[in-house]
Amino acid sequence: MKTGKIKINGNILVLIIAWLIVVGVFSGLNRNYFTTTNMVNILTAAALVGLVAVAHTYLIIELQNDLCPGSLCAFAGVLSALLVTNFGMNFWLAMIVTLVVCSLVGMFNAFMVNRIHLEAFIATLVTQAIIRGFAYIICDGKPVAITDATFIAIGKDRFLGLPISVWIMLIAFVVFGFILAKTKFGRSVYAIGGNPQAARLAGLNPQRIVTISFIMMGIMCGIGGVIFAGRMNSGQPAANINLEFDAITAVILGGVSFSGGVGNMLGTVIGVLLIQSFNTGLTMVNVSSFWQYVARGALLLFALTADYIRKTRNDQKLLELSKKNG
Amino acid sequence: MVDTLEFRNITKYFPGVKALDQVSFKAFGGEVLAFLGENGAGKSTLLKTLNGDYQPDEGQYLINGEEAHFKNPHEAIEAGISIIYQERQILPELSIAENIYLGRMPSNKFGVIDSKKANERAAKIIDDFGLPLKPSEKVKNLSIAYQQMVEIMKAYSRDNLKVICFDEPTASLSDAEIESLFKIIRKLKEEKKIVIYVSHRMSEINEITDKVAIFKDGKYVTTKVTKETDGDELIRLMVGRDLGSVYSELDRNKEIGDVLLEVKNLSSDYVEDVSFTLHKGEVLGFSGLVGAGRTETMRAIIGADRMLSGEVYLDGERIKCKSPGEAQKKGIVLVPEDRKTQGILANLSVRDNINISLLDMHANKFGVISKKDEDEAAVKGIKDFNIKTPNPEKKIVELSGGNQQKCIVARWMATMPKVLILDEPTKGIDIGAKAEFYSMICEFAKQGLGIILISSELPEVMGLSDRIIVMRSRKISGEVMREDATEDKLLGLGMMEEN
Repeated sequence: MKTGKIKINGNILVLIIAWLIVVGVFSGLNRNYFTTTNMVNILTAAALVGLVAVAHTYLIIELQNDLCPGSLCAFAGVLSALLVTNFGMNFWLAMIVTLVVCSLVGMFNAFMVNRIHLEAFIATLVTQAIIRGFAYIICDGKPVAITDATFIAIGKDRFLGLPISVWIMLIAFVVFGFILAKTKFGRSVYAIGGNPQAARLAGLNPQRIVTISFIMMGIMCGIGGVIFAGRMNSGQPAANINLEFDAITAVILGGVSFSGGVGNMLGTVIGVLLIQSFNTGLTMVNVSSFWQYVARGALLLFALTADYIRKTRNDQKLLELSKKNG
Repeated sequence: MVDTLEFRNITKYFPGVKALDQVSFKAFGGEVLAFLGENGAGKSTLLKTLNGDYQPDEGQYLINGEEAHFKNPHEAIEAGISIIYQERQILPELSIAENIYLGRMPSNKFGVIDSKKANERAAKIIDDFGLPLKPSEKVKNLSIAYQQMVEIMKAYSRDNLKVICFDEPTASLSDAEIESLFKIIRKLKEEKKIVIYVSHRMSEINEITDKVAIFKDGKYVTTKVTKETDGDELIRLMVGRDLGSVYSELDRNKEIGDVLLEVKNLSSDYVEDVSFTLHKGEVLGFSGLVGAGRTETMRAIIGADRMLSGEVYLDGERIKCKSPGEAQKKGIVLVPEDRKTQGILANLSVRDNINISLLDMHANKFGVISKKDEDEAAVKGIKDFNIKTPNPEKKIVELSGGNQQKCIVARWMATMPKVLILDEPTKGIDIGAKAEFYSMICEFAKQGLGIILISSELPEVMGLSDRIIVMRSRKISGEVMREDATEDKLLGLGMMEEN
């Protein structure tokens, strides 16, 4: 597979087939599943996971990760709701403030990874806890109601039949997909994920790229959290638990490897669709939320196994090749 | 009857290389057999396939005519095959006796360890070896040489020890320590063990070994009786042809220009007070032992390591590089020593690997890369550096080692540097590619580049450099002009002092 370009390859094809199977099975089990309304619902529910998965695609290719998006989205929702409802701030200004704060959180994650040399998994576990804590603290544990018309409109209004949130997700996919495939920054992302040391000696600045990517994640969470709050009519400190779990599963399913350096945005798009179709389907066929946890875990295990198999196959191919070349 | 160890058609592949190619020969008990070959010739890999660390892809081992197969080093040790590595494999917090009997300490029927018995037995071995050591002494308190002795005793303590291999055992030993090691090797030989001795040092090979098995590019060449051969013949055999002619055929730069790079009193966490100058069109060799601070000096210059004090001047202007990226912009580039961990981007294509340092050049102001520019640069690099690849989109790891290295050099040369630093540029690549590299280096010098060549291979450093700087223990220990350079002189300057 070529990294500089999005190409339909075997992996993507398998994913599409898997998605069709998921849709097929659930349509068979519940005839309300394969309807326009439900498909739009799936897309709407996917919007938040999608935004986070966009940033995860960058981070995981860079051999990083982020476990705080769930907390950060909830925090962003509560903060923006507070600013608008309690402080009477203009919605757009509140949005900007929220995004700035979320970027700072991303920067802090990058600081822990770059300067204190913590593993991203551990570093972002720290922020996951702290930010969740602050989400409760700033609202004293109570959801903050939203009455501002623009705020609610951002969450609920539609444009050409699709909610604004879905459009934002689609735009993010296209823009960040393009950046990843076609620009200097995108190429650097692949390079530092493939071999950080070599990339640094080749003149790139891995720390800077990692910092930008974490900030990007912060902004994605900010946007996602605000939209989600608008949709729910309130900022809820307990919202979006396990969001990162779904996003990471989607990204790995989509062909990004935990060993870094490979994958692309098209894979992530289908991974997100797949996982949301799956989650919505489970709810619609009345699988209890307890079992849904188990199912999600199983899906992640499946994704990781697929990642492992892809990797071993690739190694095997290389070995065969060197045998042939002698 | 003496023990025999036969290597039969041993072949081992690694991604991109055939590390061992149908290696077949026999070793006999009561003989010290040297393994001789250049870096990457396959000596260490062969030992690792012998003791089960790697599995050979083809071929077998026969011990006393019987096929032996080891899934891991533990099984090999159980069967009486031990390797003494350069890096110590002992546990510093345990005593000498505990290390010798690790995993098989004498114990009573309840599994309680009998330290007294272990110490007695260990004392007997220490006595056999004639060493002034106490069995209960913690290993971390011993000198490096004695730590190595503990490892040898550990292998020796097994009743069934048949084969003992030494992988460059003298790399960090003083002369006196080497002598006591040799005494033990002679003892092992008298006891009819099969002793394999891997080393680069001719004088040691002459002194301690009976036969020399020569390897080249993963192939077994031949075995010579040590007494009936000499250094020249061995070198010719291990290099495959007279390297002397390779060097003398080089079209060397006759005109050395003005000072290009000047380094004054540079110190970092790894080197102290290093000063030197490099002229335009000059090839400046850096010789010395591994760890003497050669690579570290260069890393400080290009900003890969922090410079604590000192000044660097490029074209008479003082410069400070905080990162390799900055150094590259100023015209100083480093082709790193370890291609695999520091050079190639294994996940990317040949094309992307060549272009990775040129992203600024190929991107417009929005950061979008021009595919056309990249394709052209890749095609040019492949042509100029004679990189053998079916197409630019091939992943770099699918190429042979030499061709991977050419991609890395192509990457750096495309940035049009003034100073090109090559750190062990021919490590692990075949002789043909080596010769190509040598003429490339001379060509670059002719174009007026200043070239710094770090190499542990003395003939290479002497054959290519106009001037050679030798480093020892973090400092420059001497400077030798091309005309005056001899192996003895360079070794003398580079060797550790007695401590």
